[in-house]
Formats: sequence, structure tokens, C-alpha cells
Amino acid sequence: MAKKLDIPNAEDEALVRAAQKGAMPPYEELVHRHRDKIYARAFSMLRNEDEALDLSQEAWVKGWQRLKQFKHNASFTTWMTRICINLCLDFLRKRKRKQTDSLDQMEEETGGVERRMPVEEFNPTENVEREELRSQIDEGLAKLSYEHRTVLILHEFERLEYKEIAKAMHCSIGTVMSRLFYARRKLATLLISLKKERQE
Amino acid sequence: MKQEDKLKIQAWMDGELAPKEAAQIATLIEQNPEALALSEELRVVENALHLGEKPAILDDSRDFYWSQVERQIDAEEPLAEPYAVPTIASGTLLRWLVPVGSLGAIVVLMVNFDAMNPNPSISAPGITMETPPAAPSGLTEPAGVLEEAGTEPDGMGVINFQGSQGSRHLTDPEDPNTLPESIENPDR
Repeated sequence: MAKKLDIPNAEDEALVRAAQKGAMPPYEELVHRHRDKIYARAFSMLRNEDEALDLSQEAWVKGWQRLKQFKHNASFTTWMTRICINLCLDFLRKRKRKQTDSLDQMEEETGGVERRMPVEEFNPTENVEREELRSQIDEGLAKLSYEHRTVLILHEFERLEYKEIAKAMHCSIGTVMSRLFYARRKLATLLISLKKERQE
Repeated sequence: MKQEDKLKIQAWMDGELAPKEAAQIATLIEQNPEALALSEELRVVENALHLGEKPAILDDSRDFYWSQVERQIDAEEPLAEPYAVPTIASGTLLRWLVPVGSLGAIVVLMVNFDAMNPNPSISAPGITMETPPAAPSGLTEPAGVLEEAGTEPDGMGVINFQGSQGSRHLTDPEDPNTLPESIENPDR
């Protein structure tokens, strides 16, 4: 006789396997467990609470619809995060098509600005509290264009390799390298100016 | 320092270079102060980012959030079933249904008309035989010429559905008066 699943205490894998057979309550539990993480990823990419909420919910709907395709090669949260990232990238691409690029953005794309940035020898993270630094990074990320922010997020937080980022963002590895370089250098500059601002 | 070297320093730090190239860049960083300064700046940013992201917490309650997800799942699921039907109906069936149906309707009307009006010389109610009118000007042949030709047997001419004049239309399915008599009164 099949053992009844103890949903609140079950491992993710057991919940996923039950949900793959069509059971909704285990999926509800998975949503409850990981909704903050998925929402946080959507928010970090979109920088808008309402859009992040909508897209995180859409990710859960897509997750349910494609659950049978999940092969347990990666963790369920990694798989769900990829769905969320793809939705965010689609959304941002559509939104970008509607906008006209500013001169600054175009220059960032071609990688001209970072050549004029001096290399900073002043460490912006020294003597800064962990939470304070997190807030500063968050502020700095918000000031980057979506392409630079996304490359940084995918590389630093999702630990994707250059070729994986290039595939996800529909661009070349060279573009990934220059975007990442610009994003890091720009972030360094922003962190320094934020630190100076707060010291004054 | 060339832009290409700067990008390679970054790739070296990210572990994306092949061993041979990685060794070259390591030497460059050791020997070139500018390369060293750049690698340190990139390292500081990398370490800062490794502290993690600022957490984003949802304000919505568990039940409310789930209810929204569940509603979207329910709304999208019934769409899966009818997909097969419209493909056939809209694709092949509908393409032929309209012309074949129209042709069928015309045939039925013609058959009914013959049954209703077996002798074309006798006017059916609402239908009169009309002889071509005399042309008011020289634009068409005068009526006399047609009469003289006399090639048409008696009773033949232009059929005029009186019922179609004015605001009434014979094809209007909502108007019972437009139906042929045989349909209105099949016992006749």
C-alpha cells in the first residue's frame, strides 16, 4: 500500500514527484517554500515590485505546466529559477524593443565608457557592515542597465558560465565578456561614490 | 593595456581561460601594475557580490499568493482540450463547408421554385413575368426591336421577385413572408 505523503515535512523531491503525477497540494507546498526566492530573482532583474510579482506567479504557472519535463538533474529551485529568468528576459526584451536607447546605453553596449573609468585603488567595501554593503550593492545594481545587471546576476548569483549566459541572452560570448566587465567596473565606481556620500 | 587584455584578466579571474592562456595572464598580472590594480578592483567587486543579494520578501499571504497562481493554472488548463477541434474545423472543414453549403442552398431553392411554379407562364404569388420595358432613350434597343425578334417563347422573360423590392429580402431567414409557399404550406 502506498504511503501517504506528509506534505509539510516532505523533501522537495518527494513533493515534485507527487506533483508530477498531477497532485496539486504538494505543488502548493513547493510554491509556499520557494516563492520568496523566485520573487527575489524576478525583482532583482526587473526592479519593479508589481512586475516581479506578476512574473513570479507566471513562473509558477509555467512550472506546473512543464513539471513533467523536469528530470531531477538539478534542484527544483534551480529549475524554477531558470523558468523565472527566461520569463524576465523575454519581458525585458519586449520592453526594450519599445524603448529608444539613450546615448549612454548605446555607449555601454559598445563598451566605450569603461575605458575612461580609472581603476579604483580605494576599497569601497572596507569597514562597511554586511547589511549596509548589501544595500549599497542593491542600489548599485538598480543603476545598471538591464543587460549589465542581468549578466552580473546570472554570473555572480546563478553561477552561470559565459556560454550559458550568452545562450540565455541571445548574444555572443564576447558581448557577455564586455557587458560583465562594464557592469563590474561601473559597480565598483558606484560603490565608491556611495561610500563617499555616506561618509560626508 | 589593451581592452582585449583587460577582458582576459576578467576571464582569468572567472576561470574561463584555457590553461596556457591563464598562465600568460597570470604572468601579466605579476609584471604589470595596471593589470594588477585592475584585477584587485574586480576582486573587490566579486567579493562584495558574494555576500549575497538583499533579500526580497513578498508581502502577500501564502493563501492569497497561491490562490492567484491556482486561478491562472485553472484558467489555462481547459484550453488544452479544444485545440484539436478548431484545427480541423477551421482548417479543412470550414473551408469547404461554406461554398458547399451555399451551393446546396441554391439547389434547394431552385428545386423548390420548380415545384412551386411548374408552369412558368402562370405567375406565382409575389412573382410576375416582366417583359422588357421600352428604353426611354437610345441607350438600349427599343422594346419594339425585341418584340420583333420574337425568339423567346411565350411566358419567358426576366423574372422579377416582387418580394425583393423595397425593404423585404427573400433570403432573410427571420422573415417568414419571404419563404416560398411550398415551404410555408407543405400540404399544397
